[in-house]
Amino acid sequence: MYDIITIIKSILLIISGCFVLLAALGILRFKDNIPRVVYARVHILGVADSACILALLLLGEPFLAGAYFILTPFASHAIANGFYYGEDTND
Amino acid sequence: MNLLEFSEYFLLIALAIYAIANLRIATRKTIGMGLVGVAGLSIAVATILILVQNLYQIGFCRDIATALVILGPIGTITFARVLRGWKNV
Repeated sequence: MYDIITIIKSILLIISGCFVLLAALGILRFKDNIPRVVYARVHILGVADSACILALLLLGEPFLAGAYFILTPFASHAIANGFYYGEDTND
Repeated sequence: MNLLEFSEYFLLIALAIYAIANLRIATRKTIGMGLVGVAGLSIAVATILILVQNLYQIGFCRDIATALVILGPIGTITFARVLRGWKNV
């Protein structure tokens, strides 16, 4: 039989997989003719990022998870900021 | 197939679907949409590589995943800075 750590690990991996699937569904559901849909997609990106950070931690890569945990808010903010100042009339 | 392997394969399939969805988003007409797609694709591929390393014991996958995790957001930030322009600094 499985030990308790393996069961918890498996359940958390399946939960992160469900979140990734929900993010894939959400990122495709929004139509392109909605005004400023980029912000909604950046938001969905954050959900999948958190799920991937959880998965990386469970797979035994704390350095990668920590590095991505620090870097990804800057990237999301940079995308939204660039869209606001650069492409606010389009899309 | 034990429970841990099953959950790893489930996550692998979910990440593959997410990577294809992001590829579709990355080919939209605006640059912002392309940035969103590529940012999602980079973390999806990095996690897939770590999973492949865990499942098949391929060592160099971890090095590629490290490069993707660190250089992906840095490239996104740099390109978003170019998209923003230099007028409103």
